[in-house]
Amino acid sequence: MNHPPVWLIAPALAALVAAPAYAVQYMTIEQAQKQFFPHADTFTLSPVALSPEQKAFVEKAAGVRMRYTRQPVWKVMAGGKHTGWVVQDEVFGKHEFITYAVALDLSGTVRGVEILDYRETHGREVRNANWRAQFEGKQHGAPLRLDNDIQNISGATLSSKHISEGVRRILALHETALK
Amino acid sequence: MSHAAALLTASHGHAQKRARPLLGTLVEISGSGASQHAIGSAIDQAFDAVASIHALMSYHDPASDVSRLNRMGAGTMAVHPHTWQVLEMARALATVSQGLFDISIVPTLVHHGYLPRHTGFPQPAAGANWQHIELLPHHQVRLTQALHLDLGGIAKGYATDCAIRALREAGAVSGRVNAGGDLGLFGEMPETIHVRHPNAPTQLLPLCQLQNGAVATSSSYYTRRQVNGRMVSPLINTRTGQPCTESRSVSVLADSCMLADALTKVVFAHPEQALAVLTHFGAHAIIIDALPEASPNYRVRASEAGHWREIPMDLPEVPTP
Repeated sequence: MNHPPVWLIAPALAALVAAPAYAVQYMTIEQAQKQFFPHADTFTLSPVALSPEQKAFVEKAAGVRMRYTRQPVWKVMAGGKHTGWVVQDEVFGKHEFITYAVALDLSGTVRGVEILDYRETHGREVRNANWRAQFEGKQHGAPLRLDNDIQNISGATLSSKHISEGVRRILALHETALK
Repeated sequence: MSHAAALLTASHGHAQKRARPLLGTLVEISGSGASQHAIGSAIDQAFDAVASIHALMSYHDPASDVSRLNRMGAGTMAVHPHTWQVLEMARALATVSQGLFDISIVPTLVHHGYLPRHTGFPQPAAGANWQHIELLPHHQVRLTQALHLDLGGIAKGYATDCAIRALREAGAVSGRVNAGGDLGLFGEMPETIHVRHPNAPTQLLPLCQLQNGAVATSSSYYTRRQVNGRMVSPLINTRTGQPCTESRSVSVLADSCMLADALTKVVFAHPEQALAVLTHFGAHAIIIDALPEASPNYRVRASEAGHWREIPMDLPEVPTP
């Protein structure tokens, strides 16, 4: 067996320290765009601003609340032809705040989902808009990682339910605003 | 660049870390390789491996092998070799644990709202359990009674193993796959594994050092909830049919992540009976219990030669041998 016997495992627990909130940046939106559409020539920012009617449509079709009316969207061009969309979105749960990107083809089919940033907190901060705002713009700069030492968390499952709901919302947004 | 940083770059080459929503959780895959392109493509292949296991073993997807079996009722059908392999391990675990691990507890999970009810599927027979799943040659599976199975307690670990294999086969120098707490890794340096405090999941505690191997952790801190005034969780004691809702976390170290993942459920259901099961499979477990006291507010036990050994909290750090 490759892992150490248990008497080597246990002493690590003696040095118990509570770590600060965990955060990791996986990729920037630009890296995600290239990942989704490696042959594309340009990604043009063309944010969607939803009318009240469109917002109502999205909420009804996706069955989730739309917290914003503006959504960052990039139009993907390859060989002079429009080939798809990249949409950036964010979701938060009780302990986590996640930004991610979704690639859509022109028919509105999901071509990929990549997590951009993942942040964990002690719970209170996540629902606070000011706390979230401090991270805006960060993803183009240096990686934001609050603790470089913690890379391996064997923790119980955190559900991806919020992301599934977010992707449903983006598909509804495509239906009403990008077709 | 410092000497240490230069060494790190030389030995680890180019590193990447990515995450995608898969298996109902976030799957993080990272690794290092000879070039950015090489490691990027290795990670792509590892995600593909996870996605194919997801497609075969999802309870929710009506086209998965699991749904095909659940829809079949009593009868025989062929499944994908991957599915067959997981069913084979599930059977070995059920046999050795005398049913503490059981993939047929779907009705209980549906009852507590953790799995949806599929309309149009034949009702599971009363009393149907893992013993009514027979594994035949050529990846044939026979259900001697209609039953509903769910591989949620083992397939994430198997997907992690497949992703680790994909990274290795694609030539990654080091790699790590973390499927919502089911963690496999390989590389040149041991790494510290952290777990969450069972009562404060954003607090991280160092658990062990691991260089090549697998560790899985189960706890109900994210999933337990009130249903009709009663606390429930998707971790079910198969003997009693009751959910385990203790403020407890169970981590298992084993040769494969599939084994580690499944064994956490056995330890959760019955820590005492689990000891013999752990010994049988050559695995180790660590239980962290949250305590109401202020300090220390947790208690740690590790399995050792058929016993649970209390880990004192005031041990001095042991130097690495």
